[in-house]
Amino acid sequence: MRLKLISCEIFYREIRAAVARSPHAVDVEFLPKGLHDIGAEGMRGSLQAALDRVDGTRYDAVLYGYGLCGNGLAGLAARSLPVVVPRGHDCITLFLGGKERYADYFQNHPGVYFKTTGWIERGQDLQQLHQPSIQSITGMNRSYEELAAKYGEDNARYLYEELVNCRRNYQQLTFIEMGVEPDDRFERQTQEEAGRRGWKFEKVQGDLSLIQRLVDGQWDEREFLVVPPGWRVVARYDEGIIAAEPPLGAEPHR
Amino acid sequence: MPDLTSLYTAILNGDAKAATAITKEALAENADPLEMVNRYMVPAMSEVGKRFECEEYFVPELLLAARAMKGSLELLRPLLTERGSEPTGRVVIGTVKGDLHDIGKNLVASLLEGGGFEVIDLGADVGPERFVAAVREKNANFVCLSALLTVTMPSMRKTIEALRAANLRDRVRVLVGGAPVTQQWADEIGADGFAPNASAAVTLARRLAAA
Repeated sequence: MRLKLISCEIFYREIRAAVARSPHAVDVEFLPKGLHDIGAEGMRGSLQAALDRVDGTRYDAVLYGYGLCGNGLAGLAARSLPVVVPRGHDCITLFLGGKERYADYFQNHPGVYFKTTGWIERGQDLQQLHQPSIQSITGMNRSYEELAAKYGEDNARYLYEELVNCRRNYQQLTFIEMGVEPDDRFERQTQEEAGRRGWKFEKVQGDLSLIQRLVDGQWDEREFLVVPPGWRVVARYDEGIIAAEPPLGAEPHR
Repeated sequence: MPDLTSLYTAILNGDAKAATAITKEALAENADPLEMVNRYMVPAMSEVGKRFECEEYFVPELLLAARAMKGSLELLRPLLTERGSEPTGRVVIGTVKGDLHDIGKNLVASLLEGGGFEVIDLGADVGPERFVAAVREKNANFVCLSALLTVTMPSMRKTIEALRAANLRDRVRVLVGGAPVTQQWADEIGADGFAPNASAAVTLARRLAAA
């Protein structure tokens, strides 16, 4: 098969490694990390625009390197080609190799913030996004100094605590080792950051197999949603996480 | 009753210090607390909501106005209670089980307080049983549920089911919100309402409280 993969750049190293071993020819387009920060509507627009740029005569299917990502994928409409989407709430599912493992880890580790190579080296400067992010609209990304200049010292202290210090409920950094790292520099950086924040540090072994199955064309319906041409992705918030819906008037399908 | 336009302005501008000072001064001059709330403070918060809707105000301005309102209200509340004046409603609010994101929830809580509601804030990562216990203990008539992650949205459904199992569902209005939450989801899980932002949440709660 000839496949087109549209992926968040957070998977840059993982996707490159998986594509290298795929039996198929896979062309990859990476989109900027942090699209979820512009809101579901903006993210869906970017994902749809990337899909609409795909030449339908050159490929057999379009793959997405995304999870549901705060509903950023909901509403995405397949055009002339089937679209394949992993069933996952967000990228952690793809790093851990499956939604069950993610659900299990999530339930037992509240307050965890994750790091991988892509988290650390990609998308440092989200200015690359053309639309203003939620963070910039709400003021969440402002420094104390900026807030103080605009609202005065007393107000700035309050706003900083309420709005900017958004990780106050987190208590752990988990580094997911994917086997694509050159050495221990990313793990070390994560460990140092945990130390600075006074958080617990943990390293877990990631699992490239879900990403590999995506690019290998092994699309078991429990793990992947295959959206027929003309159909669109809808969020389900159940075990399956997402489903496909036909254009109005046709029969529903899961 | 003295002219307290300065109180209205202080809240509108998010000037907590001024709002508190004016409130103290007015009380010393025997101003009527209920009239202060109804004539100056609630209209100020309504104007804040309007400015937010037309994107003249943003989240920081909302937070600051709500804080100024809250500072004044804390001084007035004992007097209002003394006179038997009831809050607009009693709200139990929290971010649902598994979810630690609380910025939006805190904003809604602040604005609800500003809107005259008594707010019992349970924090983040709140399990259904804690919502049930708080509703029972505080005799609340509103439950506000927040989630930022799609993975924790099912906790909203579980909380509503727990309220039903405890025979409390008919006693409360359940409102849901958070970035991935939609009206469709609210309908699906049997919530009474959904609002797309904090300002709209207060408008909705006030409308339901008056109904």
